[in-house]
This record gives sequence, structure tokens and C-alpha cells, in this order.
Amino acid sequence: MNSKSKRIIKEFFRYLIIIFAAFWMVLPFFWMVSASLMTPQEITSIPPKWIPEKPQWHNYIDVLKRVPIGKYYLNSLLVAGTATIGVILTSSLAGYAFAKLHFPGKKPVFQFILVTMMFPVFIFLIPNFFLMKTFGMLTNHLSLIVPFLVSGYGIFLLRQFIMSIPDELLDSARIDGASEFKIYRSIILPNIKPGLSALAITTFIGQWNNFLWPMIISSFSPNLMTVPVGIQRLALAFASAETQHLVLTGLVYQVVPMLIVFVYFQKNFIKGFVVSGFGNI
Amino acid sequence: MKRCILTILLVALLVSSMAFAKTKLTFAVHWSDYQVEGIKDKDGKVVTKGLRQYAEEYMAANPDVEIEIQMVPFGEYLTRILVGRLAGAASDIYVLYSLWGVQLVESGVLDKVPKDITSALKNDFVEAAVGGATINGEVRGIPTEVANYALVYNKKILKAGGYDQPPKTWDELIEMASKLTIKKDDGTVQQYGYVYDTSSNSGTVHPYLARLYSLGGQLFSNDNKKCLLDSKEALAALDAEIEIFRRGGTDSAATHADFQNGRAAMVILAPWWESSLKIAFGDKYEETIGVAPIPPMKDPKSVSYTWFVGVDALSKNKNEAWKFLKWLCIDPLSNGSTRMGEFLANNIGAIPSRKADIDAFPDKLNDLYTSVYVQELANTVPEPNVAQGEEIKNIIWREIKEARQQRKTPEKALADAKKQIDEILSEFY
Amino acid sequence: MSKIGHKRARAGYGFISPSLIFYSIFFIFPVAFSLIASFKRWNGLVPLFSAAWVGLDNYKWLFGNDLFVSSVINTVIYSVVTVIAGIFISLVLAVLINGSKFSGFWRLLFFLPAVTPAVAIGTIWGYLYRANNGLINQILGWFGIAPIRWLTDPKTALLSIIITAIWAGVGMQILIITASLQNIPQDYYDAAKIDGAGSFRIFWSITLPLLRPILLFLTATGMIGAWQVFDLPYIMGINAPAKSVMTVSWYVYETAFQSLRMGRASAGAFILFCIIFIANILVLRAFKKGGIEGYE
Repeated sequence: MNSKSKRIIKEFFRYLIIIFAAFWMVLPFFWMVSASLMTPQEITSIPPKWIPEKPQWHNYIDVLKRVPIGKYYLNSLLVAGTATIGVILTSSLAGYAFAKLHFPGKKPVFQFILVTMMFPVFIFLIPNFFLMKTFGMLTNHLSLIVPFLVSGYGIFLLRQFIMSIPDELLDSARIDGASEFKIYRSIILPNIKPGLSALAITTFIGQWNNFLWPMIISSFSPNLMTVPVGIQRLALAFASAETQHLVLTGLVYQVVPMLIVFVYFQKNFIKGFVVSGFGNI
Repeated sequence: MKRCILTILLVALLVSSMAFAKTKLTFAVHWSDYQVEGIKDKDGKVVTKGLRQYAEEYMAANPDVEIEIQMVPFGEYLTRILVGRLAGAASDIYVLYSLWGVQLVESGVLDKVPKDITSALKNDFVEAAVGGATINGEVRGIPTEVANYALVYNKKILKAGGYDQPPKTWDELIEMASKLTIKKDDGTVQQYGYVYDTSSNSGTVHPYLARLYSLGGQLFSNDNKKCLLDSKEALAALDAEIEIFRRGGTDSAATHADFQNGRAAMVILAPWWESSLKIAFGDKYEETIGVAPIPPMKDPKSVSYTWFVGVDALSKNKNEAWKFLKWLCIDPLSNGSTRMGEFLANNIGAIPSRKADIDAFPDKLNDLYTSVYVQELANTVPEPNVAQGEEIKNIIWREIKEARQQRKTPEKALADAKKQIDEILSEFY
Repeated sequence: MSKIGHKRARAGYGFISPSLIFYSIFFIFPVAFSLIASFKRWNGLVPLFSAAWVGLDNYKWLFGNDLFVSSVINTVIYSVVTVIAGIFISLVLAVLINGSKFSGFWRLLFFLPAVTPAVAIGTIWGYLYRANNGLINQILGWFGIAPIRWLTDPKTALLSIIITAIWAGVGMQILIITASLQNIPQDYYDAAKIDGAGSFRIFWSITLPLLRPILLFLTATGMIGAWQVFDLPYIMGINAPAKSVMTVSWYVYETAFQSLRMGRASAGAFILFCIIFIANILVLRAFKKGGIEGYE
């Protein structure tokens, strides 16, 4: 077998595997969008339906009538946006300190932060609620934002990116008399833009889809309800069977903004990982 | 001059604010949009009153009271009570599932019912419902809806299988279930003879209790010190269900959704499924759905659970809260029914706990679906109000699931359940 | 330390101070609170300080409880399989996609699940896994395979959830691996090809070793996440026999919010922490053997 036909076979198998895997990636999505347009009977029919007889576009309006999605969007946007900004700021600052600055206790403090990531979420639920009450934040958006302003994951991640910035760059700036904060602002931040946008996207998406904490808060202050909690109300024994099929439609409402965010930022994002890489590889 | 005017304004403000100082009552409910906001026609006019309309009525008649309705989904309700107390901002009024009551009472969450209401409860309310609101011998709230269980069946499927009547005994049900299950060649089940509500532990545990009661058994000893799942009645009650599995009348993949989609013959449900079934079957509802008492193993028996409204013991407005609840649930209107009865029957489609309320709404409560449930109230035993009720039901549910899948024999399943439950009981009794 | 060193140290402390302040409030307090709760018999409805002290009873009880132990085992299986299989599949796919046409498009497709909430994933896959009218059994039926009760049969329930979890995590991992892949200088490959090395040899001797730091990061963070998993098993496993599918976080949640045993639940959470901590050390040790020193 000559090398050309060997290559063709290799390429054939490559695409075969990719397309096979991609099929399974897309299948659930396809079904979700398709089911969002079905009648309740079609969703659970035997044999299973792939495509609705007649797309029930009104499902999307029904969801709007049932739940104030607009309000949920606003809440989610505000919370996710603010938390993301907070995480970016604190992670980049701390990441710089751990990557390039030296101070006594640096190693143990960093390890401490790593360990904080290992504690199960449940440990924080009730005490944080208690803290929110103590600080008087229970009835406003701060209760959804403040507990998430700092992220060990973010610190870990940005530290890796910052470590690959050459020390010479920093030293020459220091010789010129720049303060560390100035270095942070004018050298570090611009050089880890891809890492920043990567962290921003994961944080934003994570906050958008966060369910447990917003559920606890909004069971107390319903005006703070976010999109995931609001959509779930369609499924729980809260409204009757009339709305259960609308959950899939509601989920499309929840997912689509994230897809838009991802597609919009993916240029930055993918390039980000591509350009600066990860660590000293 | 300016300072004079300012002072006068401030004083006026102070005085006016004191005059308008309202008592605020917060009422946490598990009811949903139209149940709270009312059923509206296409012009937005209220056709059937929701909780809000009743609250507004009360506020109009009592201008110094403000009622805030907090909507919390059923699944989050306990969590809400928990965090509400932690935050020192608990609601004043709750509508509680009876089983949650015990824990709440023992933690001092529920206020005692005032004397003027307890006498009304004794005389005017269904016994099973009052039993549901009774914890450790004391009534802790006003029962609202009472829900018992009945057999719901698909008339068409039965007829196609050659059956004109629903099963009259449990053995008949087992027989019919296996005959009415249709499997296709590829192994998928096209039609189930019997399915069960998989959405909660109640869907499994309550029918089990009904069978247990039918055999004359009990779940707990009278002093609640022992769990009686080792009795022969308990075993027979479980075996009766597992037999359906053994004979192919159902399997572990079956759910209540199969019934709603017209792919199952029989299921044991509570009354609140009526609206889902009406939606699922559309205009074929009348000709398809039939309801019958749960086929007894020995004596005809059903099981019930109740909801009741209660007041938080730490509430600063207890008297006002009970006053409102009395107006809502005890004081009769011209037709003999209470407002709560009207709300339950017309809006929610549930069975009220007050006898006169049940009689006041024949078209709602005497219809194809609900009439059997009402009838069966006479044979209904409330589920036991024991500490850690949810935890115990979860244990029973888990063990029954193991037995269904033949992972344990029914004896072992019940023995394992009893062991865990006895341990819990010893903590409290 | 020199004067410059002092300046930098001050800046260092200054930059980490927002994070440290945050942790002192939102970490130290909750951990202390929950730790105390784990030594008490507390139902959450009464103030914590009035609850009875029971010492290590909660911990002892959990270790002796069948269901809790099963939950730990399930979580171990879930974490190990999801993370290892997931990274392996991501690695293969990343390498394949990297050299293909439309690589950006493929990566986007694979990233779709990452933007989807667990609830959506669980609900959709729940429909797909339905025994009698789910799409998966329908497809299997075309090949003559009998229907499998994915989510209710104890033999397949956990596996079904694991498959879904891997599906959900692949996209992000592919992205991160791709970044490292593209950072490997082409010269290395060119030199190897000149020496006559086949593509598999190249992958094994050049690519893989250079990817180790990334794989360590993914394994470590993947494990930490997988150990805490709650959403997916809870949504999908609700109808399976609990012993075969319950995870520790689910157990803790139910113990807390349904059985109202906050003290015991807190103890369970701390046991979980210890397990995560040990798992992390094991991962580090495994990678140390492969030449990676730590998180450097």
C-alpha cells in the first residue's frame, strides 16, 4: 500500500470518528430544540418522535406568559456579569502575586487556596445564607453576587498564564520605576487577555447556569429569581401538567444566550488558549 | 420659619405613618400562578378567584392589615421554612403538608390553634383531615385539602382487553394487569397493565399503606415506638405489589406518564391529578377515564394526607394571623361553604376538609373523577404523623424499589426498612 | 530582604488581600460553622448553639450506614471513570480535530454541552434514555438490540449517568488540550518525521510528554468537580435503586433538606472533603511519577 492511500485511509478514519462523536454531541441538542416545539403528547409518544408534526411556535410565547423570563434574564445578567468582573479582578491580582511576586508565606497561602476548592458546596450553603442575613443583603442582588466574587479556580488558572510572561519584561519596567500595580495594569493584564477571556467565559456561564444557591435565595426573595430557577418552576409540582412540556422550551431560552455569548467570544477564547498556551509547555 | 415648617412636616409624617401602621402578614404558599392570581378569561377578568382575590377582600374589610403572599414551589417549601427561620425572617402563615408537621412542632415552629377554632374543627371537619393536622395529640392547624387515593383506569383499554368493570379485589387487579400488558417483539412494552406514580415517595408508599390498612395492619405501634413492617400484613401488602411485577403486569421502567399518554390501563392516584388527566386526554377524557375505589385485599380502605394552614410560633402577629385564617377557613358564606372551601373546590380542584364545603360544590366534587374520592373518605385512614416522616417514607420507598427489581425478597426489604425505621423511632419515642 | 524586595512583598500582600479578606469571611466562617454543626444533632430549625453536642456520633453513624458507604463507592466509580475516560476521549478527539479541516467548527460542536445547565442535560438525556420510547433504545433497535432500562436497571443506571457526564465534559477538555497541542513547536514534529517516526510514535514520545502538565490540571480539577457531583445523578437517577446510583453530595442534600438532619449532613460533607483531599494527593503522586513535580 503506498503512502498516499495510507493517508486517505487515515483521513477517512479520522473524519469517521469525529463525525460519529459529533453526531452524539448534537443529537441531544437537536432533540431539545425539536421537543421545544412539540405538543405534550408528542414528547412522550411511542415510537419516539424526532420532529414535531407541526412546530408549536406558540410554546415560546406560552413560556413568556407563564414566567417573567425578561425579569429572570435581567437578574441573571446582572449577577453573572458582576460576579465575572469580580472574579477577573481578584484572580488576576492574586494570580500575579503568586506567579511573579515573592513574599513570606506565599507557598502555604497558595496551597490554602487550592484546598478551599476541595470543600463541598453544601458546607457553605446555610452559613452563607446566615452571613447574607447578617449583612442585610438577603433582599437584594448582592446576596447572589458576593459569595462568588473570588474563585480559587480563577486564581489557579491565571497564575499559570501569568507565569509564562517573561520576567525580563517585568524587570525592565521595574528598573524604569514602575510600581507593581502599574506593571499589573500595563503589562500583565494585556498579556493575558486570552486567559482573561477564557476565565470570563467559564465564570459567566457557570454563574448563569448556577442553580442551588439562587434557588435558596429566591425562595426567600422571589424578585431575585434567575433564569435556571425560573425555568425549573415549570417542571416542579408548582404548576400542573399544563406546563411541564414547556420546560424544554424554557431550557432553550436558558441555553441560547450562552451559545450566543460563546460564539461571540470564541474567537478570543480559542485563540487565547492557542496563543499563550498553558504553562511552560 | 423654614425649620418650623420642616418640623411640622416631620410630625405630620410621623403621625400619618403611625395611623397607617399596618400589620403585615406573610403567607408562604406552594400554590402556583393561577391558583394564587385567579383563573382569568381572555380579557383578563377573574373568572375563578385565586388566593390573592380573597386576600384583597380581607384587606378591604380590614384596612390595618396587609397580606403578602410568598409563592414557593412544593419541592422548596421545607427549605424555605428552614432558611426563613435562620434568617430570622420566617413567614407568619404556612400551608403545610401534614407530614412536615411533626418536625416543625417539635422544633417549636408551629403555634397552637386557638380554642375558638378547635371546636369548629371537631364538629365541622372530616375526621381523617383533622387527624392529619393532629400532632402528638394536639391539632396544630386548620386542615385545608384532604387527598386520598383511588384506582384510576382507562376504560377503553379495559374494554379492548375484554373487561367491562374495573377490578373489585386486588387479586383481580394482578390478573388484569398481566393480561393487559402488551409487549412488542423487540422487547419494548407497548402497553402496561398497571403503572405507578414515580414522581415522589408518596406514589409508592401511599398505595402500600392503603393495602396495609385494608388487611387491618398498621405501620407503627400505637405508641410509635416500634415499626410494624415485620407483621404478616405488612409482608402480604408488599407481596401483593411485587406479584404484579412477577406476573409481568408492570416493570421498573413504567411511570405515571405512561397512563397519561394512554399507554397504561390502571394506576393509583390522588385527586389532584384530575387537571393533568383532563389536559392529557382532551375531549376523549369523559369516555376514557374511570375511577374506582382501590381494590381491597380485605376491607375497603384508602389512605390520605392533608395540608393544613398554621401560624409560626415566633410570629409577631399571631392573633391577626389566626383572625385571618378563621375568616378564610372557618366562617361560612351564604351557601354554607367557607372561602377556603370555595378556593379549593373551584380553583385547585381539591377536596376540602370541611364537610359543608364538600356538600356545597356538587358539580366540582361530584363529578366523574372526584366523586369516588369523596365517597371513599369514609374508608380513609390518614397516613401516620410520625417524626422524620419524610425520612421514613424515603426508606420505605427505597426498600420497595429494591424488592420490585428482585434485588431483595419482600421479607428482606421490609426487615431492612424496619431496622432503619426502628432506629429513627428510638430517637424520638 | 532588600528594599525592592520589601516593596514587592507589600504589593504581593496587597494584591492577594481582597481574596484573603473574602476567604476569611466566606470560607473560614462557613467551614467553622459546618464543622461545629457536624458535631451536633441539629435539624436546622432551632438555633445552632442550642442543638445537642454529640461528638463524633454523626461520623460514626455515617461510616456504618449502608447507603452512605454505597454512595461513596458510587462516587469513586463515577469520578474515576468520568475523569479518566473523559480525558482519554478528549485527548483522542483533540488530536484528531487538530489536524482536520473545519477544526474550529468541530470544537464549537463539542463545546455545546459546556454551555448547557446540568438540569437541561439531565432532562434531555432522561428522555433519550427512556426504556420504551427513548431515542437511544430506538436506535439500538435498528441493530436488533433489545431495549435496555438505562436509568432504572441498577446494572446500567450509574453507567448511563457516567456516559452523560463524559459527554458533557468533553468540550471544555478538548479546548484546553488543543491549546497545549498548538503550543508544541512544529520543529519537534518535523525533526521526528525526518527520522522516520510514524504518527503513533510521534504522539507517544513527543506530544504526550509535553501534554502532561495540562493533563495534570485537567485530572486534578476534574476530580475535584466529579467528587462533588450532585445535579446530574439527582435528576437522572431518581427512579433507580438508590444504592446503585446515589452520590455523596446527593446523600448529603437529602439528609439535610428532607430528613432535616443538618448535623449529619455536615459530617457527610466533611468526610467528602477528606476524600477529595486524599484523591488529590494521589493524583499528584501519580503525576510525580510521570515527571511533574507539583502544580508548577
